Amino acid sequence: MKVIIFFMLSMLFLPTAYAEAYCSLRDPVSQIRQLYPQKTNQLSIVKAVDNQTRKQVQLALPRNDLHFSELGKHTLYVAMKNTKALGYVHVRSEQSKWGLVEIVWAIDKDLRIQNFACQRCRSPKKAIIESDLFKKAFIGKNLQELKTLLNEDGLTANIALVDNANNAPELTSVVLRSALKTLLITDLLWGKELKLLNH
Amino acid sequence: MMEKSMRFHKRVINAVASTLMLFALPSYGDFSDNLRVSVDASARLNTNKAAGNSSRIYALGLDTHKVFSNETGDIGYSVGQLYFTKLSNQTPFPFMFDSSDDQQFIIREAHINYTAGPAWLPNIRVGHFTLPFGLEESIDTNGRLLDYNHGKNLGTKLDWGIGFNKVLNNLQYNVTYMMGGKDDPKIVNDSYIYVGRLGSLDHLDFIMGFSFLDAKIDNIERKRLAFDWQYYWQTWGLMGEIAFGKDNKTTHQWLKEKYSLLELSKTSLDEQLKIYGQYILTDRENDTNTQQLVNIGLSYQINTQLELSLSSRRQLNTPLAGKKQHLLRVQLRYRY
Repeated sequence: MKVIIFFMLSMLFLPTAYAEAYCSLRDPVSQIRQLYPQKTNQLSIVKAVDNQTRKQVQLALPRNDLHFSELGKHTLYVAMKNTKALGYVHVRSEQSKWGLVEIVWAIDKDLRIQNFACQRCRSPKKAIIESDLFKKAFIGKNLQELKTLLNEDGLTANIALVDNANNAPELTSVVLRSALKTLLITDLLWGKELKLLNH
Repeated sequence: MMEKSMRFHKRVINAVASTLMLFALPSYGDFSDNLRVSVDASARLNTNKAAGNSSRIYALGLDTHKVFSNETGDIGYSVGQLYFTKLSNQTPFPFMFDSSDDQQFIIREAHINYTAGPAWLPNIRVGHFTLPFGLEESIDTNGRLLDYNHGKNLGTKLDWGIGFNKVLNNLQYNVTYMMGGKDDPKIVNDSYIYVGRLGSLDHLDFIMGFSFLDAKIDNIERKRLAFDWQYYWQTWGLMGEIAFGKDNKTTHQWLKEKYSLLELSKTSLDEQLKIYGQYILTDRENDTNTQQLVNIGLSYQINTQLELSLSSRRQLNTPLAGKKQHLLRVQLRYRY
């Protein structure tokens, strides 16, 4: 009985957790190395994405939501070269008609997209979003600039961006939504820590 | 009874002390403790149709993960999982228990992985962890009904030891020495385990790996070589594992054994629902017929905390003695 009471009390102090056991957590080691080949290590900063964050996302990006696996504790990686921060790496999942699309985003210190890599994308048109031409439309852009690539519905990519992705408008929209949420959540949740780190 | 109680308390004290020591280690800066803690509770009902009985397993535990770092980045991470587990009419009961209605504190995974070495140096893992072998290396089944028969095929699912692991540009490996004491960090009757897997990167749509095992556990020697693969297409997954080897399980003579598994799975677009079917074949030298099993299951993530799992396992071939296996299992799991 004491054991049960102890664990019940523990629950009161714990944030939302995702259902998978923590021994299954894997860092995107090879993708971080691909995005920052000069890095010597990475620095993890773990923060909780909760319902408050979800509401802020819904407010800043109307008609958008977070997938349930996006709630719970998540890691932002700082790519390090010795003691110098090169940039940030943030992995986000976005639901699509091919299942979850997981993109590893490289973000610079001004919170602009530097590059990205697919961790998981089971669309037959995956090669399109991995092309340099497609990536070019995202690289160097911040949250406000990426927002201008959204249609008025708040969910789909506009014609200017879709033109970069022959016959893949849905996948383009998925990548755009992922980029927007990534930059927004990075700022909302990790902004304070990143300012301290770069101080 | 007294000895059991002493053992129980010693295990709890060790686990709590180790956990506190780990949490006292630093994470960089004052802004994040880089700690994940979850309460993990599950209730599992097993109905063995062949034996005509039912049993239950209750587990209530803490699952923790902590990243340690300094000014140059991450040093490593720890995983600690301590579960209070109660059996009810569970026959046969797992080796950690003393009876079919026993209750124990069980340490599942408890290890540290040192990751701060130079690029050419492997990460070093020390503690109690899953044997790096076959599909289980990239698909964690901890606390789930989904299973890749690690315990049955290899002699144990977890053990205490030291391992070397690394994710390279196109490959990843995990090679480990373990003591063979299973839940106890000690060598028992010259026990040992050498086990490892070399595979392609496990985030890709097509994954394959080669595994080996040379072990002596519970006075049984086992040697295994295995090949595993996974292929994902949209929301479908097809995977398999085939292991060849030999052991001296029953007669103290080496007998060849072959194990293979084929799995087809389908997830919903939002991944709340996963359905899978497995075909498992075990062929043992001198046995007159091979054992063939079919396992069909599903898991449904009701919300971020609650998961319902169902599984039905049936034996296809008729055994020489006894009835065909037919096991139904239901599990409700809550993580907070």
